[in-house]
Parts: sequence; C-alpha cells; structure tokens
Amino acid sequence: MWHTLLLYRRLMSVQMRSQMQYRTAFVLETLSTAVIVAVEFGSVALVLNRFGGIQGWTLAEVAFLYGMSETAFGFMDMIFAGFDPPVFGQHVRRGTFDQLLLRPVNITAQVMGSEFTLRRLGKIALGVAIFAFAVQANQIIWTPLKLAYLPIVMFSLFLFFGGLFIIGATITFWTVDSIEVMNILTYGSSFTIDYPMTIYPDWIRRFFTFVVPVIFLSYYPALYFLDRPELAEAPPFAPFLSPVVGIGLLLALRFWHFGIRRYQSTGT
Amino acid sequence: MTFHSTTGRIARCPSQYLYPTMRLFWEFTVRSFQRHLTYRAAAVAGLVTNFFFGILRVSVLLAILGEQESIEGYGRAELFTYMALTQAIITYLSLFGWYDLMNAVHSGEIATDLLKPMGFVSFWLARDVGRAAVALLLRGVVIMALYSLFFDMVHPTSVAQVTAVAVSLILALLISFGFRFLLNLSAFWSPNARGIGRFGFTISWFFSGFLMPLAFFPAWVQQIAYLTPFPYALNVIVEIYTGQLTGPALWQTLCIQLLWGLLLFTLAHVTLRTAVKRLVILGG
Repeated sequence: MWHTLLLYRRLMSVQMRSQMQYRTAFVLETLSTAVIVAVEFGSVALVLNRFGGIQGWTLAEVAFLYGMSETAFGFMDMIFAGFDPPVFGQHVRRGTFDQLLLRPVNITAQVMGSEFTLRRLGKIALGVAIFAFAVQANQIIWTPLKLAYLPIVMFSLFLFFGGLFIIGATITFWTVDSIEVMNILTYGSSFTIDYPMTIYPDWIRRFFTFVVPVIFLSYYPALYFLDRPELAEAPPFAPFLSPVVGIGLLLALRFWHFGIRRYQSTGT
Repeated sequence: MTFHSTTGRIARCPSQYLYPTMRLFWEFTVRSFQRHLTYRAAAVAGLVTNFFFGILRVSVLLAILGEQESIEGYGRAELFTYMALTQAIITYLSLFGWYDLMNAVHSGEIATDLLKPMGFVSFWLARDVGRAAVALLLRGVVIMALYSLFFDMVHPTSVAQVTAVAVSLILALLISFGFRFLLNLSAFWSPNARGIGRFGFTISWFFSGFLMPLAFFPAWVQQIAYLTPFPYALNVIVEIYTGQLTGPALWQTLCIQLLWGLLLFTLAHVTLRTAVKRLVILGG
C-alpha cells in the first residue's frame, strides 16, 4: 500500500513536470479551461440577471449549484484524467493497457498516474470563484453542522464523478472505443446539477434520482444550505444522503476489477 | 490534365463540364464525402446523446420562459425549434472543435498538401464541404426529424423561406470554415495551438447564440455580438427558420452573411501566405 502511494506520487510529479516544460503553452491551456467556464456561466448570468432568475431561484442561488458542480468536476477531471473514457479507450485500442498489466504494481494507481491534467486548475479556479460569489451573495446562515457538512458534500460529489469515469473506462474493455452515450452520465449529470432539478421533465429527474443518483449530491444539499422552501416537501433525510452516494465509487471500483479479470486484449 | 477516379463515378458527375479547378474541387469534395459517410454507426450512436443534451438545454430555456407567452419572439415552439436546430447544426459547423489543419501542420503532412495542384484554402474548403454535407444528411436532417416527432416546432411555411434557410446554411458554412481555418493557422506560430483553438471555439459558442438565443441577452451584448461574424453562422439561421427574419431584414442578413464569408475566406488566403513563409518541416 505504502509502495503504491509512493509510486503514484512519483508518477504524478513526472506528469506535472512534463506539462510545465512549455510554460506559455501550459498557461494558455489553463486559461482556456477557465474561459470555457467563464463564458458558459457568463451567458447564464447575463440572462438570469435580465429575467430575474429561474423558477424562483435567484442568480446567486443558481451560482451555488453551478460553482459546486464545476469545482468538484474540475478536481475529478484533473485527478481521474487517466480514467477519462476517450483517453483510457486509447490504451485499450493501442494495446498499451497490456503493458501496464505486465508491471508488478497496482493497476489502478498506474492508470490514475498515467494522466494528471494540471490545466484543469483554470476550471477549478473559476468554479471556486463562482462558489465564493454564491456563498457571499446568498448570506447563508452558517451553523456548525452546515460548516462540517459542506466539505463532505463536495468530496462526495468529487468521488461520485470519479466513479462515473471509472465505469466509463471499464466499459471500453468491451466496446474498445469510448461510447458517446457515456457522456450522458458524466457531462450530462454535471450539466444537469448546474440548475435546480425542478426545471426538468419528470423522467429526467427520476433518471438522476434512481439511476444516476446525483440529485443527492447537489440539489438536496443545496436546499439545506440555502434554506430553500422546497426543503419542506423533500424527505427529511434527502440532503444528508451524499456520503452514502459517494460510496457508490466503491461499486465502480468493483466493476473495474471485474472488468480487468474479464479483459481480453485487442491484440495490437 | 485528366483525373481518373477508381470508383468510376467520374462519367456521371457534372464535373466534366466544369473548369479544371472546379472539377478538382468537386473531386476532393466527393472523396471527403465518401470518407465521412463511413462513420454512419457513430452518427446513430450520437443521436441518443444529442437528444438527451437537447432536452437538458431546452429545459433551462423553458424554465426561463416560465408562465410568459414569449420572450423577444421566442415562445415554447420557437424554443424547441431553436434547440433542435442548434443541436442539428453542431457537426455541420464543427462547433465543438476542428483541428484537422492544425494536426496536418504539426505532423508535417501539410508539405504534401501544399504541393497539390490546387489552391490550399480551396483544397481544405472542398474537403470541408464534403464533411459538412455528410454531417447535414446523417445528423442534421435526422436530428430535425426526430425532434419534430416529439415536440411542437415551427417550420418554414413557403418555398421562398426554405430557399432562404438553405442559402443561409451554405453561407454559414463558408463563415464557419473561414473562422476555423484562421484559428487553425495559429499552429504555424505555436507548437501548442490547441489552447488557442479551444479558446476560439468557446468564444464562438457565446457570440453565435449557441449557449443562449442572442435575443435573451441584454441589448448591449447583442450589439457587440452582431459586430462579429458568429451570429451570422448560427443565430440568424434560427431566426430565418422560425420566420422571425423576413422581408428586407432577411435580404440584408443574407448579404451580410455573404460579406463575412468572403471576408474571412480572403483573410484566410492572406494569412496563409504569411504563415507558409514561416513553415519549417522537420524530418520526412
């Protein structure tokens, strides 16, 4: 275990050093990930500001959801980049995954360490900025419980997205190519939770409650943090389910190990 | 000079009546068309994802509309149409990114492309027209048909309007191509031009009306947007399709589209000339 952690740290620092080699290119790439979030949130902000909100949610309240989702997804996208289905799919297609399997070290650590996209720091910084704006503008009534719970929610959301990446990567063992439908789970859930869940048709809300239960990691906790009136109608335990859902990551890891046992190389 | 085709298609295509360069253009377009046509399975697989994201996007717009009848000419039907059209057009205009030229520069493949007996910009345009035609048929039309099955949408009501949409679509491709070509030329200056590319495409989503219909933005944002070519590649197509742009305003819009298309195309030529002077091909 200790050995694996050391190895992971080693792989990560190699990644970082290589990405920092071209300073200007690195800065530009980092900026571009920030610009994407800035432009997307900017367009939402301009429109919500003009029309005074969306279904009773103010811009600041939407920013709470938005910042939470972008920050958690950004961190996940940086750390779990090796599992990003299109990236991982290439290892399977080119047969380089076979090389990893031959090495006598933990396979999960190797895949995690194979990619560490530092440029996502741009997206993360913007996500944090949006969240900070939301915290400040909403005048949240902080209680010790809320303060303690916030990092748990963030971390669960981060792990949850990571689990989705791992599932997507595992599926490429069978499909070889990464499948576009996986985007519905990853980018789809990240987009969906940028807004209050009440704006979606029932079947979409049910999908993100029972199939991909991301609703418990963002919408319900947000109701609790912001003291929204919808909280009264929600089941009282709903905002507090986030750590349980984060454990879903463990299931994803089980699936990953199951996939590795069944793995048949493409022969390339 | 004659060009032989292995598919035997040449006898039937109208290219034999055209001037050699136009014939070359046609041949490159057809080759590109055939090559892209092989990705049929991907187009079908992409449908599910496209549909899902379309519904997510329109939910946001419908929620903003709320109880109101319409906002700036956009009612429920117009919003569904806006969503369907913008989703259908993603691949046609390569909205999510196009780095083919950039890759050709970085791999050195560009050296042989430059030797082809045809203008370099036209060569890429020919290939892009073939690609776009497939995107329009395999994705665009199918997506529009699928959305029409599920949602109440607004469609063109006259032959003239259909023609206007078609012309507008073609001009939009010219604008989009010019922009993408220029963006890709940055590869001549930077070995890592992807960041610049991503930056450019992101800006284009905002100003073209892909993220939100431009009419939803405050007036000052709209004014800035219409100073750029981007709304003429996307937002105006929606407004022509839904019948919001008619009469003299429609003619004016089509003319501006044409002007932007020609301007970007010329700019591409001029910038390329400077770029090629800097080109160094390493290895072989």
